[in-house]
Amino acid sequence: MENRLNIFRPEEPMDFGRRIKILKERKIEETRIKSKMKVYQDGDDYGSVPAPDDYQFHCIPNHENGSWYGYEGWSKNFHKLMSEHPVYIDSVDAFSCRWMYSMIWFDEKSPAKGLNWNPDYSYDHLKPEQEKYGIVPGIGSDAHFGGDYELGLSLGWGGLLEKLAAYREKNPEHGEFYDAEELVIQGVQNWMRRAIAEAERLAKEERHPVLRENLLEMAEVNRNILSGAPKTMREACQWVCWFNMASRTYNRDGAGFQLDQVLKRYYDADLAAGRITREEAVFYIACLLLNDPHYYQIGGTDEQGNSLLSEFSDMVLEGADMLDSACNITVRVDRNIDRDFLHRAVDYLFKNRNGWPRFSGDEALNRGFMRLGYPESLARKRIAVGCHWMSLPGMEYCLNDCVKINCAKVFEVAMDEMMAEEGPYSTERVWRLYERHMARAVEVTAEGIAFHLKYQQYNEPELMLNLISHGPVEKGLDMTCGGAMYYNMCMDGTAIATVADSFGALQQRIEKESRLSWKELYKHLKTDFQEEGGEIVRRMLASAPRYGGGDTISDRWAQKISESYAGQVREVSKSYPDYEFIPGWFSWSNTIVLGKQVGATPNGRRAFEPINHGANPHPGFRKDGALTAMSNSICAIQPGYGNTAPVQLELDPGMGRGEEAVQKIADYILTLFQKGGTLLNINIIDSRQILEADKDPDKYPDLVVRVTGFTAYFCSLTPEFRKLVVDRILVQGA
Amino acid sequence: MKGIITEIERFSLRDGPGIRTTVFLKGCNMACKWCHNPETLQIRPQLMVYPEKCLGCGACVSACPSGARGIENGALCYDRALCTGCGACAESCFTGALVISGREMTVKEVMDEILQDRAYYENSGGGVTLSGGELTTQLEFARALLEAIKAEGISTALETNMHAPWHIYESLLPLVDLVMFDIKIFSAAAHKKWTGVGNDRILKNAKKVAESGKDFLVRTPVIPGVNDTEEEIGNIAEFVGGLGGAQYYELLLFNPLGESKYQALEANNSFKGSRPSSADFAEKLRQAAEKRSGLPVRVG
Repeated sequence: MENRLNIFRPEEPMDFGRRIKILKERKIEETRIKSKMKVYQDGDDYGSVPAPDDYQFHCIPNHENGSWYGYEGWSKNFHKLMSEHPVYIDSVDAFSCRWMYSMIWFDEKSPAKGLNWNPDYSYDHLKPEQEKYGIVPGIGSDAHFGGDYELGLSLGWGGLLEKLAAYREKNPEHGEFYDAEELVIQGVQNWMRRAIAEAERLAKEERHPVLRENLLEMAEVNRNILSGAPKTMREACQWVCWFNMASRTYNRDGAGFQLDQVLKRYYDADLAAGRITREEAVFYIACLLLNDPHYYQIGGTDEQGNSLLSEFSDMVLEGADMLDSACNITVRVDRNIDRDFLHRAVDYLFKNRNGWPRFSGDEALNRGFMRLGYPESLARKRIAVGCHWMSLPGMEYCLNDCVKINCAKVFEVAMDEMMAEEGPYSTERVWRLYERHMARAVEVTAEGIAFHLKYQQYNEPELMLNLISHGPVEKGLDMTCGGAMYYNMCMDGTAIATVADSFGALQQRIEKESRLSWKELYKHLKTDFQEEGGEIVRRMLASAPRYGGGDTISDRWAQKISESYAGQVREVSKSYPDYEFIPGWFSWSNTIVLGKQVGATPNGRRAFEPINHGANPHPGFRKDGALTAMSNSICAIQPGYGNTAPVQLELDPGMGRGEEAVQKIADYILTLFQKGGTLLNINIIDSRQILEADKDPDKYPDLVVRVTGFTAYFCSLTPEFRKLVVDRILVQGA
Repeated sequence: MKGIITEIERFSLRDGPGIRTTVFLKGCNMACKWCHNPETLQIRPQLMVYPEKCLGCGACVSACPSGARGIENGALCYDRALCTGCGACAESCFTGALVISGREMTVKEVMDEILQDRAYYENSGGGVTLSGGELTTQLEFARALLEAIKAEGISTALETNMHAPWHIYESLLPLVDLVMFDIKIFSAAAHKKWTGVGNDRILKNAKKVAESGKDFLVRTPVIPGVNDTEEEIGNIAEFVGGLGGAQYYELLLFNPLGESKYQALEANNSFKGSRPSSADFAEKLRQAAEKRSGLPVRVG
């Protein structure tokens, strides 16, 4: 993207509303280009802009395979990229620069070529069982925990460098760590210096007075925060932009912070000093969200239980509304939440239909986290900053959303083992085998996580997030290997509906109704229902009462599966005194990949079709699609240790924007969380529009959907992913 | 005691205040020619046939105890006259080609479903709505169900056509928090022509409900070629305004979704191909209704 100059006549009005309109039009154009680029397909919007064709990054390899690893490899390459990174400045924007490359997307890090893990640390010994149970082990996965932005904002880049120097003296044995961190900061500062120069150059030539002034202010803001700590809201937002852009470039990290707490103090100070207007602050928030739709939380309580909601919380929503684009703001909901605020938040869902805000359930999350032995004050600090996950800012390392066990695969292993033996067969016998294999799958997953924690520093240390975490700099240790205060390791199960419906169908159709024998069933599974009579059998199985139907046989299986899984995950923690493993239910967008690992299942699912999404039931779970029935089912399978099993809702806009509809949805949200729900994602999508967009995505360049935990432009999804979203919406939203 | 239930719809947002569960009782004492739920007209269970979903497995033939389902010239066939609505064929059909409308349920079975959403009713000011058909065609079951719901402290509402004798409604009112009823056509002759019954009793009952002090809402389905004129809607609206006590009056646009159900029941659909009024015309009707009733008027 080229830096534009003199696009507007000097006399053209250029108020904040007009500026956001221009920025949004440009974003839609950028999205059009990005939708054709492979790295952006099926992923978050990220806020990045397409890279210019004339820049090519040439890495500095430190391994014979041509890639780079460890402190030295990452810091040197990152420093080089930052120092060369194209400078994109939009004179209409409040903030300088946008990011363009993530280092993990470069060919030298290609997962297909096995370059994303340092081959010097082989985990071949773990692979057979990981494959057997369909485990996504998380080995080599990065980011996916939250930093403490207040730490960075209070020190600034210069303060962070001083901190590194001070602790280097205390920990001389960790020189490699400090060298790497210093290079990282210097790299970011190099990018900033070039941005300052470019803003000044553009200002000399820009003819529009408002934009010229804006460019000069940009340069000044960046000079102020090049080393120093931000003092104004604009400086704080620009600092956050730099951290986000650099962190995205480093390894695509997307965790944000408590937006209405961290930025409010700067706004209050500016307001008291007469340096800012409310309108200007809302514009800054819109530009911050344009720069990157990081996961931010608003609402909830502070450590003492005082509400964090304020007028600034409303301003965050207004900023997001002004931008009206992909956005990942979560509203934390507790029983004392201001109802008017909740209504306003729900109204934005219907108004913009962009899948924001999301809602998280304060009480169940806190209660669950406290079961791990943590105090309530700490639980309150664990905020929603990821796809389906919560994190203690700067305090814990988690591998959130990176580790998955494919329970459908475990089920298949159990079923195959039983059918290879002599009868009599029974669901109870499958269950016993399933539990035994699941226990092993959990152990294997834990072994993989422990392996990652031992060697990830030699593969890909967290050089950006270390800077805003409590411990790494002080100890000279990476967050992945001893730097963090807590190791609360995410261990998500997937395919709960696929497995529960399978158990339910077996029990209902074979044992209760005697409609077919175990051997007949197994033959049809292994032939993918292709033999004579197979389709009738498939329909018979698929029409058994499902998970999500409301106290059905499969609902009861789902509860049993979740309780057993949570128990097994907690049990394995006892073997690892330094870590807590936390169970959750979430597939992310792995539904297709994980489905491809598993043959036909007794819920009538054909071989290699997708597993269910997250904790949601399979589409068609109930004739009326009753959301309350589905929600009750999901509430009943919460693992209950502070990680989530989210509810994904697809609502038709016909439900209306009226006061009454908003009130009912708000009441639904409060009830969901009262019943133990942890996270709620909502799409408001017109089923006719989504069908048209599926046929011709380019016709709807600004259509945003919440794919899973993240929102994305519909046109950037591959046909396979579009189908998943469309199917879900047509079944649930009709 | 058992009732015949067509459907239990949870997370119902349009059948009264708050989040509700609507229980549809089978059977009706009117025969509106535009009814979009034709499967609710008869009280007995009925088989709905969707031949396009049939895979031809023939399981229904061996399941049928009355010979209504058979094979003729190698193809599956169905004699509705022989069908008792027992549902044996539907139970053996997993493709959705045969669906039985109307299942016998005890009050307890219905309550088990209702109670699953209790928290949603409590938090939203919602509850349970008994609808039809016409719920008074299963009076004793409806009464028993209402008693069970009230005993749980859950709010109740009725959706009724108001065509039962007043003493029936009078006996139900203590069990009900809200009465929703239709006034479909104002002219008695036209009402008889299109619904099979006159409207004298309905209008009288409407006045009595209003006088009883019970909360009530009046709705009118806007049916193309039947009552979709400003004059007709205005006349009804004026009557509704005159009742006193209604918070608002609602116009319900024609629902074309009944078409596939008429086909599935092999029943005559007098309104095949009809479509709801346009948004502009609906707004005209709304304004006319507002002017004549003096009430806020909604279009649903």
